[in-house]
Amino acid sequence: MSKTTQAPKALRGVGNFIDDRFHLAKTGEKNLRKVFPNHWSFMLGEIALYSFIILLVTGVFLTLWFKPSMLEVVYDGSYERLQGVPMSEAFASTLHIDFDVRGGFLVRQIHHWAALIFVASLVVHMLRVFFTGAFRKPREINWLIGVAIFSLAMVEGLFGYSLPDDLPSGMGVRILQGVMLAIPLVGSYISMFLFGGEFPGEDIITRLYMLHVLLLPAILLALIVAHFMILWHQKHTQYPGQGRTDKKVVGTPMFPAFAVKAGGFFFFTFAVIAGLSAFVQINPIHLFGPFTPTSITSGLQPDWYMGFMEGSLRIFPNSLDFTIPIGNGYPIITAVLIPGLGVMGLLFGALGAWPFVEQWITGDKRAHNVADRPRNAPTRTALGVGGIVFYGVLWLAGSNDILSETFSIDLYLTTYIFRVLIFVGPVVGYFVAKRICLGLQRRDRESLEHGYESGIIQQLPSGEFIEVHKENSDETTHVLESKPVITSTALEEPETDDKGVENPNARKGMGKFRRALAHWYTKDNVSFEGVEAHTGHHLHHGAEDKDH
Amino acid sequence: MTRNGETVKWITARRRHPLAGYAVVILALALFGVGFAALAPASDEARAQTLSAEAPSPEDVDAANGKAIFDQTCASCHNYDGSGTYTDEDGNREMTNGPDLREVGSASVDFQVSTGRMPSMNPEAQMPRKDMVMSEQDLADLIAYYDESIRTDDMGADIPYDVPDAAPERADFEDDESYEVALEEYEAEYDAYIEGADDVDMGMKLYLTNCAHCHSWSGGGGALTDGRWAPELHDSTPREIYEAMVSGPGAMPMFSDGVITPEEKQELISYVKTLQAEPNAGGIFDLERVGQVAEGFIGWTIGLSLIIACAIWITAKQRAHD
Repeated sequence: MSKTTQAPKALRGVGNFIDDRFHLAKTGEKNLRKVFPNHWSFMLGEIALYSFIILLVTGVFLTLWFKPSMLEVVYDGSYERLQGVPMSEAFASTLHIDFDVRGGFLVRQIHHWAALIFVASLVVHMLRVFFTGAFRKPREINWLIGVAIFSLAMVEGLFGYSLPDDLPSGMGVRILQGVMLAIPLVGSYISMFLFGGEFPGEDIITRLYMLHVLLLPAILLALIVAHFMILWHQKHTQYPGQGRTDKKVVGTPMFPAFAVKAGGFFFFTFAVIAGLSAFVQINPIHLFGPFTPTSITSGLQPDWYMGFMEGSLRIFPNSLDFTIPIGNGYPIITAVLIPGLGVMGLLFGALGAWPFVEQWITGDKRAHNVADRPRNAPTRTALGVGGIVFYGVLWLAGSNDILSETFSIDLYLTTYIFRVLIFVGPVVGYFVAKRICLGLQRRDRESLEHGYESGIIQQLPSGEFIEVHKENSDETTHVLESKPVITSTALEEPETDDKGVENPNARKGMGKFRRALAHWYTKDNVSFEGVEAHTGHHLHHGAEDKDH
Repeated sequence: MTRNGETVKWITARRRHPLAGYAVVILALALFGVGFAALAPASDEARAQTLSAEAPSPEDVDAANGKAIFDQTCASCHNYDGSGTYTDEDGNREMTNGPDLREVGSASVDFQVSTGRMPSMNPEAQMPRKDMVMSEQDLADLIAYYDESIRTDDMGADIPYDVPDAAPERADFEDDESYEVALEEYEAEYDAYIEGADDVDMGMKLYLTNCAHCHSWSGGGGALTDGRWAPELHDSTPREIYEAMVSGPGAMPMFSDGVITPEEKQELISYVKTLQAEPNAGGIFDLERVGQVAEGFIGWTIGLSLIIACAIWITAKQRAHD
């Protein structure tokens, strides 16, 4: 037994002073001992947290000099090429940050790269949670908060992108306005209200600035805090393993081991972002020049996270627009409305609804703290892959002019390819992913029954060659054996009761629909029933040989 | 190296290492990459070599040689009279593969030939920029012949001889001294033209209103409809840009001196060339100034991947016990 060491007297004094007043010792002890799981995929959300912190810090730095004003000034700063050019104060002050504030250029680039990494890490974090089923009860609320963070982060990024009032900013705001105008009935009113008149007006930068630095970050911060408090209370999920149950968490205590790790990880994240910012040019507004309503250029895109919306706008046909014949005719611009707002609604709607849809299909009301291995929930995994393909095709379509030019493909052809892929791709992705999951399940069963392939070939006295299989470790065996069987309460209810009366649930439309979905959701599964660990014949060869 | 008490080769001992697969893939990718770079043809570079700021004097050109060149390299598509038509056996006028040249002007001829787009190997396809197939002297002769015998009533635009063309090449000079003199002369001429324009705002507005929606904000070019593309302007000389504007090659509209005056053209060309020469203040990797698509790509492939690799690294020790 090691001797309990006492803290130095000075520290003890401070500690006692605080504890006497706030009684923190017990809570502190409990929380510092909080257990964190040890798997890299549980660190993805932290990347988002760290890049958000970097965004806050660099953002504050930028506000010290940025002037959110559309007042026209003639530039006379130290960037020679644009001297004498009339531009908005917003653009001029951004040039000032770039060329006259020490370190300003670097900080602006850090802010922008951190934004790209922030949203990207939100996506991978969300995919991890989705594919491991970590959104299931009791974590549905945290999943919804995550979806809200994701959607707000996109809007926050779009507004930030618009602030410098450079050429791409203005074009982005113009597209935003176009989407607003396509909203039936209220579109033009919303646009006039937001812009304080016709596009571009003189208010938009000031208003977006307020949203970008005050309202949205405050909401984001509140949501992130809520996300963490809920996480803290509910604890992480964990992958299946020995001693890991729905009731018991295994991992590293928060203090000191995990705190050191997380602290180091923060600095690594910061290092990568700062490294990118130091060496890779991003959003060179001084090369773009200021926005004027007559300026237009090819080869410009929004930042990556808006790419899927850009893509859906690009590939959606305009032939579905129609006019309601009232008065002078009231046009409904479906070619902007559906891809601009419909696709976003579809994405976030589907993400938000899925935990509840899945719960409704399976009827599973249990609390889950052990995460699924993606292969063990093949339908969900396949749906997720289908969703990724859908998003990915739209995202690619958003860069179709760059793809066309880079790879010398006819621009129109890319549009047609994407129009087909958007329907075919997700279906193919769905089936391929499902087959891969089932293949992996089969391999798991094989491995459970026969042990793993050791890579050693032996020749038997009869001349036969065999590959020696070895027994899996207890840990692996436990993981393989813990494969859950996906069931649904809908399928457990009998069609008729013992008196031959039809089950009312099975007769009604919704009940029928639910049963159909339940069948679809549970039917593909490699059964492990009756499989006992290490009973296969391959292993016996190995075992026998070992005995000799 | 021993395994299970037996001596094995170095490679055998590592063949089943967890990282072996990655190593093989990286090696294969590197091999393909290097192999492709070695085998792929080097990109074409512009090498037009006009030096003179003035039109060549009649004594220096040989229209007879120009006719020989025209008949040999141009007439198969444009016909000997440059009309782009011919009379078939039944007496009908038929189109040849190439357009009518009689009214395009010498600026157009100079542009198409000096950028290597003409003579074209495939009249159906848009031609990329290439090395010029003939010498500067041959081109001058060809243009003299064109002006003399094919052009109708001086229609079309003349070559803007006062706008600087490409820099001289060392290979065209006998010794370093004469090359350096020529180079200095050229640079003075180039700087005078580019710096003679000082209204960045006008140049920028003209460029972003008239040019950028095809050639992109950086002059890097872009995709157009029907499989065509707008070429990048980085290799173009000021004279070529000028000639392209006054002659409207391919899908490009014509911007005559009446629509955009020569002074405005100078501002515009100066804007493009100054922007192109602008250093990348934001870092040594400019991502070809492609912009957001490239930034997103790097953000995911380099940025996020490195961070995730680090996450895998710092949690790896525990995983080894799993």
